[in-house]
Amino acid sequence: MNAYKTSAAFTWPRFLNTLGLAGISATLLFAFVWQFMFNELPCPLCLLQRVALVMVGIGFLLNVRFGSAPSHYGLIILSALGGAVAAGRQTLLHMAPNDMGYGSPFLGLHFYTWAFIVFVLVIAACAVLLVIDRAQSMLSNSAMPNLFARLVMWLFVLLVIGNVVSTAVECGFGACPDNPTQYLWLKH
Amino acid sequence: MIMVLPFVTGAIAAWLGMRGKRSACLFAWFITFVIFIAWCAYHMTDPLTLSL
Repeated sequence: MNAYKTSAAFTWPRFLNTLGLAGISATLLFAFVWQFMFNELPCPLCLLQRVALVMVGIGFLLNVRFGSAPSHYGLIILSALGGAVAAGRQTLLHMAPNDMGYGSPFLGLHFYTWAFIVFVLVIAACAVLLVIDRAQSMLSNSAMPNLFARLVMWLFVLLVIGNVVSTAVECGFGACPDNPTQYLWLKH
Repeated sequence: MIMVLPFVTGAIAAWLGMRGKRSACLFAWFITFVIFIAWCAYHMTDPLTLSL
């Protein structure tokens, strides 16, 4: 690992990756807020899109924690592609006439459509970051991220744990119904 | 299909990444990705009601 050592804890790629992780955390947080405010339970495909968001976030987290590396960007792109497939599939599923879609729309679009846009934007952002990230090298483990980056990482981890709890309460330790109407563990 | 499983492995990956264990984090991410693909195959194989 010494061959990869650099001296600066702050780098622009690391900062931009922190913003990427903050964006993913904000998306997961917004999905949570919507779920609990309007009591709209996520369907299996919605949950798969959240899993893809988590996997994208892990790639950003690796870039923030260890410094940027092509393999980390690869994880992000693969995850975003998977998420785009799941979101695209759900968009096509509800494209038929007289289909009102799943859940209520936000700013005129359903969440799976927004998710598809987010995943495409993530792939585009990765392409830009790969272009501007000339160093393409990993920082040493000792070069700890700054306080802002650490707070964003903690927020992301807490949101992922929140999703574990929420999904367990909704689906238990089995498969979720296609159109869930109540939390499995909160059934009377 | 245990819906919570990919979230659990994802949480483990995120935690390992936070703690500085890169290789273990990458392995946990890979497990999450495999589960994600398997769950996609399970949930996304019904025919669509439109012609493409």
